[in-house]
Amino acid sequence: MSATVWMGYLIDHHDDFTVVQSPFVLDGVRVFGADSDATTLAVAALLHRLQNEEVESISVPEGVDGLSLSMATGVPLHSSEGETSPAWDVLMSDEATVVLARHESDVELTSMDVEVQADADFHHAMQQAWDQELSATHVSQGAYVSRAQYEEAGSSRLSLTGQVADEGLVWPPRFNHMVDGSTAANRNLQRTGRVQTWTTLSAAGAPSEFSLRAPLLGGISTVLLQLDDGPKGVFLTVDDEDALFEMEAPMELVVRRLYAQEGFIRYGLKARTVYD
Amino acid sequence: MLRHFPNGMVDVAVVGAGQTKYGNHALGLKGMWAEAASKAFASIDGDFSPSTIDEAFIGSIAFGGSQLGNTAALLTEHSGMEGIAVRRVENACASSGFALRDAWMAIKSGQADVVVAGGIEKMNDLTPERKRYWLGVSGDTEWERLAGLTFPGTYALMARRYFHEFDSNHDDLVNVSVKNHLHGSMNPLAHIQKEVSFEKAAGGFMVADPLTLYDCCPTSDGASCVVLAADHVAKQLTDAPVWIRGSGAASDHLALHDRPSITQLKATQMASSKAYSMAGIEPKNIDMAEVHDCFTIAEVLATEDLGFAARGEGGKFARDQQGQLNHGNTTINASGGLKSKGHPLGATGTGQVVEVFKQLRGEVESARQVRDAETALTHNVGGSGATCAVHVFGRDR
Repeated sequence: MSATVWMGYLIDHHDDFTVVQSPFVLDGVRVFGADSDATTLAVAALLHRLQNEEVESISVPEGVDGLSLSMATGVPLHSSEGETSPAWDVLMSDEATVVLARHESDVELTSMDVEVQADADFHHAMQQAWDQELSATHVSQGAYVSRAQYEEAGSSRLSLTGQVADEGLVWPPRFNHMVDGSTAANRNLQRTGRVQTWTTLSAAGAPSEFSLRAPLLGGISTVLLQLDDGPKGVFLTVDDEDALFEMEAPMELVVRRLYAQEGFIRYGLKARTVYD
Repeated sequence: MLRHFPNGMVDVAVVGAGQTKYGNHALGLKGMWAEAASKAFASIDGDFSPSTIDEAFIGSIAFGGSQLGNTAALLTEHSGMEGIAVRRVENACASSGFALRDAWMAIKSGQADVVVAGGIEKMNDLTPERKRYWLGVSGDTEWERLAGLTFPGTYALMARRYFHEFDSNHDDLVNVSVKNHLHGSMNPLAHIQKEVSFEKAAGGFMVADPLTLYDCCPTSDGASCVVLAADHVAKQLTDAPVWIRGSGAASDHLALHDRPSITQLKATQMASSKAYSMAGIEPKNIDMAEVHDCFTIAEVLATEDLGFAARGEGGKFARDQQGQLNHGNTTINASGGLKSKGHPLGATGTGQVVEVFKQLRGEVESARQVRDAETALTHNVGGSGATCAVHVFGRDR
């Protein structure tokens, strides 16, 4: 069947379930792209579902970062302590495929016809780099964003939650309301914007937290976007697409891996070109 | 003997200044600081003893984590200043520019008569990975750094936007690089003492598109030290004091994306406005300026933000060689600037003052002397413009 491309992934939508797959194939098997995993696929599936319906709660299997998924989508994780069942389940298959299914519904996996051949050497090297970066014994010289700091900014980082202020929408949010006692109303910004400027850092110039992967990628690219809702932000571009930058070109923001340190992955929004 | 003056009544002069050569230094922190301090003390014409110093402010990022705590206490212990009140001042690359301001304020307040301001950084004894970590610690870690940016990246974003908004292109940055290498080739204290051709600078290795290696300052080891004195003491120490006529400092959003414009540095504009106002002069009165050209685009923006060129005309200013030694109204970076003289982060601000001190006293190499220099300015920026200190100096008060 022909698939819909959504946030860089393939989507097959049904009434009771959504299948999301990586477009990359190696030796006939679906594989994750350079900065994708089951969590980023699950985010895409859930956001696709949320366009038209409410999802009350979800359960996630081991291998999906439930907290990041929840922060990226606003959907609460199902508590295993209660007697109720989750409304939806995230299911993983062996290949780079994730299914978001209504609880206890029947799921039928269909083959999607879009296949992008992955480069074997690049794919294996990138997987090794991530494994090394994720190793608890790997002492990164990278910037330190602690778990508490990651979680504090999680909804802003992953779902663009901004503040409604007198001067307009503010993103990333500030803490001035804690000083002046005002109440800061929140609003999620649209995940789209236009290019104001960009750069590609050589591998030698990239921050040290990217030092294992930047040489494989030929450097890393960053764009400064004027978000369609007003605020500006800087974002890495997705790793597995060759973006051609242009001033004022539209881009969309998707959840991908940023970097790993001390055994835990920090996810964030990355920019990808919006193609007609 | 301390006297109390109503705020602003006392004038402050630089009476001594010295620095190490910038570059790959064989000495460690203590040795480099001792060398800079001893040169500063030796430059004082009259009888002087370090024991007369009341306070010391030393700028440093403590790059690499080396002696991150109590830096100033350790260093002053090795330069004859035991027992005085000392502290490390940290504002990224503007650390010693702010150390100078703090020292100036200490004297202005009437609480001190003789104060040392200085700076130091040891950058070239680290592994490449550790160095790249520390080169990005002064940006917005949570948002810019996790978007892949270190300072070459943030300034590259500014450069490309500048080209888009104004009549400018990379050739204008190349002109800045060529000029500053020319000036630095004549400065025996510079890290890179060689000229570079336009063609070579234009075709350098791409570090952060559109910035090449020749758009980026080197990472340098170095220390600098200046001695400030209240007017009644300055007269006893030298016949040729260099007066601090104006001091201004300001801050701005740490992250680029929070600023309304990324082709101007608001902190520079505010700091320089205060400094000019205090000095009672205008930009056209400045004979020479040491500006913070950590990247060539930074000098282009600085010439505009400091008022030497109109908004959007900084590229043309560089293209027309207006900042070249004794060519235009204001010589820019006669020392070679950060691009050629070098950039030992914490030492840069007071290192700029060392250059100004010597220039205004006619003590630099003759080929590098700014003709008839009476008034000078230093411009020290932290990060991509989150902090800035500007000082105006004169041979006359």
